[in-house]
Amino acid sequence: MADREPPERRDEDAAERFDGFLETLLGDGRPSPDAVDDRDEAEMARMAAELAASGRPGAESAPDPAFVEQMRRRMREADAGIDAVRQPPPVREQPLAEGTARWRLTRRQVLQAGFGAAAGMAAGVIGASLIGQAQRRQIGGDGTLVTGEGFWTEVARLDEVQPGDAVRFSTPAFDGFVVNDGGTIRALSSVCTHMGCTLAYRPDWQDLRCPCHGASFGLDGRLANGKTAWRAEGAYRGDAHAYPIELPDLVRPEVKVADGAILVWTAQA
Amino acid sequence: MAATEPGPFERVYDQHVVGIYRFVYARVGNHPDAEDLTAQVFVRAVEQLDTTRDPGQIAAWLYRVAHNATADYWRAFYRLPLVGTDHVAPGWEPAEPTVVPTDPDDRAGARVQALLRRLPDHYRRVLELRFLQRLSVAETARTMGISNGNARVLQYRALRRAALLEEPTDG
Repeated sequence: MADREPPERRDEDAAERFDGFLETLLGDGRPSPDAVDDRDEAEMARMAAELAASGRPGAESAPDPAFVEQMRRRMREADAGIDAVRQPPPVREQPLAEGTARWRLTRRQVLQAGFGAAAGMAAGVIGASLIGQAQRRQIGGDGTLVTGEGFWTEVARLDEVQPGDAVRFSTPAFDGFVVNDGGTIRALSSVCTHMGCTLAYRPDWQDLRCPCHGASFGLDGRLANGKTAWRAEGAYRGDAHAYPIELPDLVRPEVKVADGAILVWTAQA
Repeated sequence: MAATEPGPFERVYDQHVVGIYRFVYARVGNHPDAEDLTAQVFVRAVEQLDTTRDPGQIAAWLYRVAHNATADYWRAFYRLPLVGTDHVAPGWEPAEPTVVPTDPDDRAGARVQALLRRLPDHYRRVLELRFLQRLSVAETARTMGISNGNARVLQYRALRRAALLEEPTDG
């Protein structure tokens, strides 16, 4: 019965630290991956989660009615918005008229953050275009879209996005930022590639930061506070400060600039 | 608007939300994360699920996505690269005849019970007190007649042993 004897110091420290994870879990909080030290502890964390769940049978493991209702409302919105989502907005004549209706954050009623968010991943077209450079997809002279499956959506005016700026936009299919990364206009998904939280732009840091676990993405769409990024910059500050895992780049839909407007390509199956 | 027939997504949702939630909850053990992951599954469904497919295929698709979402949740703890819930293609079909866990949390519960039975008495006891009866460390220590520090070490070692006993899973 070694366990009844005075425990070793090392075990005691680990046990006390790990108890922090358990207190969060058993208090029905959201345990953080940072609370586990290694893969063995990850196994233990998972075991603890299953044990905790099995200790709450029946009604205690059922969803909160308020949550169910809130999600149902989102399903209704999806049912209602389905035609709007699948039908591209009418293609506009060029030049684009000032004050033309644009898909902005107001469209969030149709697709709440989460929807647009994950849709971005599905859209998954990579691209960035230099201001004034050749456009990779032409809009035909008669104003109709001539290539590919999908459509262009105007998301911002070019003069609204100065170097270092990031402007939030939302289309029925995609939530993101248009950024001006030292002259390069780029569209980036606003969805963190870790767990799908919505990123926030921090002007002082020129990054898109995740409110959930602190991932920071540069205006190039890459994880900026991971070990790899820091090592590449020669700014490695130790594992304890770095984001614990490497994350995929943010999804970057194709963008183009036409007539002072920034347009984002939405692929459509 | 309120009196109209439920649309296709709402119907799929109403049929599966409780089952998916329990499936996820049995794997993450806390409500905030269970809500997040359940939301992810249905968000994915709105984007990709063909609601005209037959009900068995829809159920299989949903549980597959839920499985991937919980697997990714734990991958973050293991510091492993994430698969992503979109890994399941819209047209994905189960290789075998549709297997949908009818009562996923009970099944997980039975597995935990079997596991507890295989542990030494004092390990089983500390886990039962902490997780099934939900006693605090102090209450657990008092019940077992040991110090708080020893109770923490005991639960730590018991979890480690339990994790070693468990069959490796695919998640």
